[in-house]
Amino acid sequence: MSRRTFFAFVSPSVIIMLLLMVLPLVTAVWLGFNFITFKNLATPQWVGLDNYSEVLSDPEFWASLRFTVLYIVITVPLEILIGFFIALLLDQVTKFRGVFIAASLLPFIVTPVVGTLMFRNVFDRTGLYTYLLRILFDYKLTMNTETVPLLIMLHGIWYSTPFAMITLFAGLQSLPQEPVEAATVDGANLFQKIWYVVIPHLRSLFIFIALIGIMDAYRVFDSIYVLTKQNPLFKADTVMYYNFKMALSFGQLGKANAMSILTVIGIFVVLIPFLVITYRQQTEER
Amino acid sequence: MERVKNPFLRFGIYVILIGWILYSIIPFGWTVLTSIKRPIDANARVPMILGFQATPNNYTELWLNEPLKDFAPFGIGLLALILVLIVVAVLSKNWQRVSRPAVAAAIVLVLVGALLLLPKLTNMAEFYGYFLNSIIVTVGTVVISISIGCLGGYGLARYTGILSVVILVAALAFRALPRMAFVLPYYFLGQMTGLYDTYLLLILTLVAVNQPFTLWMLRSFFMEVPREIEEAAMMDGAGRLQSFLRVIVPITWPGIITTGLFTLLLAYNEFLLARILTQSNWTLPVAIAQYTSGEDASHLTVAAAGSISITLPIIFVIIVFQKYLVKGLASGAVKG
Repeated sequence: MSRRTFFAFVSPSVIIMLLLMVLPLVTAVWLGFNFITFKNLATPQWVGLDNYSEVLSDPEFWASLRFTVLYIVITVPLEILIGFFIALLLDQVTKFRGVFIAASLLPFIVTPVVGTLMFRNVFDRTGLYTYLLRILFDYKLTMNTETVPLLIMLHGIWYSTPFAMITLFAGLQSLPQEPVEAATVDGANLFQKIWYVVIPHLRSLFIFIALIGIMDAYRVFDSIYVLTKQNPLFKADTVMYYNFKMALSFGQLGKANAMSILTVIGIFVVLIPFLVITYRQQTEER
Repeated sequence: MERVKNPFLRFGIYVILIGWILYSIIPFGWTVLTSIKRPIDANARVPMILGFQATPNNYTELWLNEPLKDFAPFGIGLLALILVLIVVAVLSKNWQRVSRPAVAAAIVLVLVGALLLLPKLTNMAEFYGYFLNSIIVTVGTVVISISIGCLGGYGLARYTGILSVVILVAALAFRALPRMAFVLPYYFLGQMTGLYDTYLLLILTLVAVNQPFTLWMLRSFFMEVPREIEEAAMMDGAGRLQSFLRVIVPITWPGIITTGLFTLLLAYNEFLLARILTQSNWTLPVAIAQYTSGEDASHLTVAAAGSISITLPIIFVIIVFQKYLVKGLASGAVKG
């Protein structure tokens, strides 16, 4: 394909990405240097690095970052572990496979706001799980500063495990038979086969899922919005949610933009090695 | 992997899988029950699984401005419509002779007809307006995103220059960025240009944030097509664009549907963009989020009815397109 034809084909996509991704990012950087609220949208006031230093010295910002990291560290490994376990079990079954897959896709595919509402319903004052916790374990569940962050993480696992499960299940389908058979001949038991044959085979998938999981957990928003909205004192702000509050509840658009730019820099530190690997891979393949 | 033979272990596997399914779907089942309860039953101290009096009131309160005196004809009509759609969906899997486009066209016609007819028959509430907004935004996003995504994805699959790798990696980087970094500038730029609270701004921004994922996924499908195929078409005198539209698109149609499906879900489910970029033209996720903090006793049941109303189209999509969904997830390029 000639260079000119290539430009003709990609130009609509590239133009829309330049206009609506690159331009907004530049705008965000610029807005971050200004004092701007909903009242002076048209007349921002240049304040230099003030917004950045304010964000970096804001204890709430660090608290939200801490909670985000905690959320990532807890949900992503559990998501992969449970997803892999269920994928292994599903691989053993042929009957009703379609039903199992369709039903477990539901939490992942449903509108996140709605899914969180449903998830909250069962843990609500009058919910089914609240009742079961009460009669089975004599535990009285209330929404407070300890249970709400826990519920947020539990929801995170409920929501994202199906993705890990389906991806790993598809990976298991492509597992070559020979090494497994060879391991059987060598007398390996089931766990040894999983540990020495299956897991190495799926390694790149595990990395891929972890990466997507980290990226998505880093910007988790919808579930926090639904689960903390009744009471802002639950102390479960993630970076994204605190950023949103800074803009919409406090009206500090300049400071909020500075915060977005800082979070962008944060995720890039994590991502750069991966981007470099992808770049090398693609350059070799072409 | 080979199968476990021990019958006790096999039984255990099924037990765990069924437990997993229950864990996945109990919140849905519970919400379905709540949505047909009277507020007094929904707020009972001991949760009622059976033995409450079922009522359609939550749905009518959500969708209609004036309470219906007689729900029966309306409800039966609605049930019939849903039933027809499900039957068509299930049958369409088995019909080999009837062309797919014909089935799709029939479904679209039935739906559009029903949507236009409804407000004429009764006085629909605001929620219906949000529903229409969601449909307009979703359809607009899918059409634009897939059209330009196909062209771009094809270009990226066929061009061997370094620029194509640069665009791909840049797109991947954009895919990773937190939405807030775009949304606030969108708000600002929208206010400055007067596009704030229009369908156009929401659709274009949705297209943009989904473009990286769309490009990557469509490119992977176009890569699977051997170059010889369009080279043969071009030998016969067709231009690059013509051979792409006439030869490549028909072959990769399943992949394009898969990508379209994920774009549809992403657009339909998007909350943050719609929350910040609209004021009156709310979409469904923004509307339902307002029910999270109601005070009166019925907000729980009405919110449940809203949740189920939003979820039903998605369940329909899962039933019809499960094959494409799993294929898309398995191809590994997914998730916007």
